[in-house]
Amino acid sequence: MTAWVLGLVLASYAPQQAGSALLDPPREARVQALGKQLRCPMCQGLSIADSGSSAARAQMDKVRELVAAGKSDQEIRDYFTSRYGEWALLEPPAAGMNLLVWLLPVLLLVGGGVAIARTMRRPVSAAPSPAAEPEEKLPPSDDPYLEAVRAELRQ
Amino acid sequence: MSRRGLWIGLSLAVVTAVLLFVLAKGFGRDPHAVPFQLRGKPAPDFTLRRLDTGAPVRLSDLKGKPIVLNFWASWCAPCKMEHPVVTMAARRYGQEYQFFGVVFEDTEENARAFAGNPDPSFPQLIDERSRMAVDYGVTGVPETYFIDAQGILRDKVAFPIDPRTMMDKLAALKQPAGPLSEVVR
Repeated sequence: MTAWVLGLVLASYAPQQAGSALLDPPREARVQALGKQLRCPMCQGLSIADSGSSAARAQMDKVRELVAAGKSDQEIRDYFTSRYGEWALLEPPAAGMNLLVWLLPVLLLVGGGVAIARTMRRPVSAAPSPAAEPEEKLPPSDDPYLEAVRAELRQ
Repeated sequence: MSRRGLWIGLSLAVVTAVLLFVLAKGFGRDPHAVPFQLRGKPAPDFTLRRLDTGAPVRLSDLKGKPIVLNFWASWCAPCKMEHPVVTMAARRYGQEYQFFGVVFEDTEENARAFAGNPDPSFPQLIDERSRMAVDYGVTGVPETYFIDAQGILRDKVAFPIDPRTMMDKLAALKQPAGPLSEVVR
C-alpha cells in the first residue's frame, strides 16, 4: 500500500532536469537579471530565476540561449512577451492601461497633500461661546426659581 | 451647491469611476490565464525526433494539411484523461489532419510506457529541454495547438480537451482564417 501511494505521488512530478551550462560570469549575471524580470507560468508570482519548476527551467534555458546568441535585453523581453503577452513581465511597462497603476498612487498622494495643506492654512475661527450668542428673548416666567436661574446666567 | 462642493463631488466621481474601471478590468479576467499571443501568426518551425523510430520531423515539411500538436507528459494526471480523446480523434480524422504528440519534460522511458511503443494512433515527438514548447508559449500540460494547412497557428486549448471542443476546433481549422477560428471553448 505504502509503495503504491509513494509511486502515485512520485509519478505526479516532472522528472527534474539540470539547467543548461552556465555562461561566463558577466553574461550569466545578465541571464539571472533577466530571469528575475520574467514570470514563471506555473507558479504564483515567482520569477523564472526563483522557481524550481520544469517550465521555468526551460525558460531560463531559452534566456541563456538568447543571451549567448547576442540578443539585447529588450529583444529577449520581446521574445517572451510575443509568446506570453505582458503577463510574462513581473513589472509591466508604464504605458497604456498600466500607466494608471503607476500614476494613480502619485495623483492620490499629491491630491491628499494639497487637501492637507489647504486645511492647515485655513485660519481657525474661534468657536462661538454660549455667552457670545445673542440673548434669546424669553417670555417672563412665573416660576421664581426659573427666573433666578436666568438672572444668574445673565451675569 | 457651492462651487467648492461641486469640485469635490466631481473629483470623487472621477476617482470612483477610475477605480471601478480598473477593478472591473481586473476582476473580469482570470489572473492565471496566459494570453495566446501567437494566434494568427506563423507557427514557429521545429525539428523534433519521433519517440518510436527516432526519425526527425520538421514542421516546414508538413504544410498542406492542418496539424494538431498535443503537449503532454506521463506525470500529468489530466493528460491521462485527455489522451483517449486525442487518440480517438487521430484515428477518426487522421486522413484529413496530422496529429502529433509532443512529450513535455519527461523521460523517454516514461513516455513510451504512457503512449505505447509504437503508439498506433499518432506519432509522439521528443522535445529536448522543452525548447520548442517555450517557442510555442506552452505554460504547462496538457495543451493542444491547432495549425492550419498554411502553417498559421489558429488556436490553442490550455485544458484537457473534450471530444466536442476537439471537433469544433478541427472544423474551424478548415474554415478561412478570421472570426471562425475563434470557436468558443
